[in-house]
Amino acid sequence: MSTDPNKPRAAWTTIASIALTGLLLWLGSGCASSSSARQTSWPRTGDPLVDGRTAISNAPPKDKVLWQCRTAAVAIRRGQVPEAKAILDDVLLSIESRFTGDRSARKSRSYFGDESKKRFIGEPYERVMAYFYRGIIYWMDGEPDNARACFRNAQVQDADSEKKEYASDYVLLDYLDGFATAKLAGDGSDALKRATNSAKLSVPPPYNPKANVLFFVEMGHGPTKFATGEYAEELRFKPGFSETKAVRIRIGNQLYTAEAYDDLSFQATSRGGRVMDHILANKAVFKSTTDVAGNVGLISGLVLAQNRSTQEVGLGLAAAGLLSKIVSAATTPEADTRAWDNLPQYLSFAALQLPPGQYTAQIEFADSPTSPIARTVRQATFTVNDPRKDIVVFVSDQLQ
Amino acid sequence: MNSTLLTQKLAQTASALIIPLLITGCASSGVSTPKGRTVQEMKADERGFVAGTGVESQDLVAVTDKMARSILSVPEIANAKGVPRIVLEPVVNDTRFAFNKDIFLTRIRTQLNSKATGKVRFLARENMAALEKERALKQSGQVTSNSDPNVVEFKGADFFLTGKLQGMTTKTSKGTSDYVLYSFQLIDPRTSDIVWEDSAEIKKQGLEDAAYR
Repeated sequence: MSTDPNKPRAAWTTIASIALTGLLLWLGSGCASSSSARQTSWPRTGDPLVDGRTAISNAPPKDKVLWQCRTAAVAIRRGQVPEAKAILDDVLLSIESRFTGDRSARKSRSYFGDESKKRFIGEPYERVMAYFYRGIIYWMDGEPDNARACFRNAQVQDADSEKKEYASDYVLLDYLDGFATAKLAGDGSDALKRATNSAKLSVPPPYNPKANVLFFVEMGHGPTKFATGEYAEELRFKPGFSETKAVRIRIGNQLYTAEAYDDLSFQATSRGGRVMDHILANKAVFKSTTDVAGNVGLISGLVLAQNRSTQEVGLGLAAAGLLSKIVSAATTPEADTRAWDNLPQYLSFAALQLPPGQYTAQIEFADSPTSPIARTVRQATFTVNDPRKDIVVFVSDQLQ
Repeated sequence: MNSTLLTQKLAQTASALIIPLLITGCASSGVSTPKGRTVQEMKADERGFVAGTGVESQDLVAVTDKMARSILSVPEIANAKGVPRIVLEPVVNDTRFAFNKDIFLTRIRTQLNSKATGKVRFLARENMAALEKERALKQSGQVTSNSDPNVVEFKGADFFLTGKLQGMTTKTSKGTSDYVLYSFQLIDPRTSDIVWEDSAEIKKQGLEDAAYR
C-alpha cells in the first residue's frame, strides 16, 4: 500500500480550519458581550432615580423595560407620580406587544442564543406589579374603571400557571376589581368572593362604596432570581423578606390598620415551571451530549492518529470531536436572571370614609401589630373635598 | 472524493459560511431590527405590525362608524321636529384594557357632525364652566353681548349618548383570547327610555413567543 505524504498535511489543515472556526465563534460571542459591556458603562450617582433615568437612556434595548420598571417603582415611592405614569405606560406597551414577532425572543430559544438576550418584559409577578402600579395611578387620576382594567389585566398575567391552583390568585387584584365595580354602582360581589377564597395572609373586609380615602401600602424587599443546574439552566426565585409585619395609619385620634393581602415571594415561587424552562433543559442536554461526543471524538481520534494505518481516520475523528466541542461551548442554556429587584414583599390596602376637610396621616411600619414603636414612619397630607374623586395615598417603607 | 478531502472541504465550507455570519451578526447580536423601521403613515382602520389582543385604532374606527350610521336611522332622530340635542356621558370601561374612553364618543360625535350636519346637535357640557363665566361677564356688562344675557339660552339635553365596553378573557397554554362587546345607548333623560341601542363585538387571540411563557 502506498502512502500519500500529503494526506497528514491535508488533515492538519482541516483541523486548523476547524480551530479557526472555533476561534472566530469565541471572538464573535466576545464581540457581542463587549458591545453590551460598553453599553452598560454609564456614570452612577448612587441615587436610584437619577441612575435609573440614565440607564433607561443608555442601557441596551433588551434591558430598557427592566430599567423602566425599577425607576418607576422608585418614582412612585418618592411621589413623582407623573414620571412613574409615563414610564409605566411605556412598560405596558412593551408587555402588550409581546404577541408581535420578536426576533430577540426567537434567538433566545435557539441553541446558541442566550435567554438574557431577549427583550426583558418580566416574569408574571413582575408584569403583575407593572399593571398594579399603573392601576393605582389611574385611581389617583379619578379613573377607577381604568384602574380596574389594570388590576384585571394584572390578574390575567398570573393565569395559566403550571400549578393551576395558584393561577390568578392575587387577593388584592380581585378585591380592588370588585371595589371599583361597587364604587361604579355595579355588583362587585363575585370579585369579593374570589378575593376572600384566595386570602392567605388576611381576609379582606366587605366593601364600603362610600370609602373615599384609599391607602395602598407596600413593605419589605421582594423576591430575586438566581440560577441552578449544571449549566445554570434552572431559574429559581429567592424569597424576599420584610422587617415590617404591621402597618398602622393614624389620622388625628383615629387608628386604622392596613392589612397585608399579598406576598410577592409566594406569587413568584408558586407558579411552577415555565415553558422556557423546558427549552433551556433541552439546551443543557444538547450541550452535555455534544461535549461528551467531542471528548470521545478527540481522545479516540488522537489515539488512532498515532498509528500510520489509522492516521487519516483518527484525524478525521479528532476534527469531528473538535467541532462537537466547539458547538457545545457555543450552546447557551443559562437562564435569564435579570430581575425587577426593588419590588416589595407585601401588598397592603385600607379604605377609609372621611368627611370633607384637610388631614395629615401618619403611616407607621412596625415589627408586629402590638409593637408600640414604629420602625419607619411616613406622613401624607391630603384634602377631602371632591365627592366625585377618591383620595389615593401610596406609601412604601422603602424609598429605593 | 476520499474522506480526507471531504473532511477538508466540509471544514472550509463551514468556515466560509460562519465568517460572514459573524461579521454581519456581531455588532447587532441579540438586537431585534437593529436599523429600526422608518415611520410609515397608515390608515386609522388599518391593523399595524404592532398589535395586541386589546382595543386598538382599527376597532375604534369600525365601531364608531357603525354607531354613527345606526344613530341616524333612529326614528326619534330621523323624524324629529327640530334638531335634537345630545349630551355625551362618559363611556364605562368594563374590560381589562385601560384606554382613553373619551375617544369613542368623540369620534361618534365628529362622524355625526361631519356626515349628518344639522340632523343632531351636541351640547358642550364639558365647557360649561367657561360658558357660565362668559355669561357672567356679559351679565355684569364687562363684555358686550349680541343678545340679552339674562335670558337662559343654554339648551337642555333631548338625549344622552353613552356606552359601555365589556370584555371576556381566556388565557391558557394555547394562547390568550379577548372578546370585547362595545355597546352604545341613546337615553331619553325625561323618561329614562333607551330609544336606541347598538353594539359591535370583536374577538382577538394571540400566543406570545415561548421565551415569554
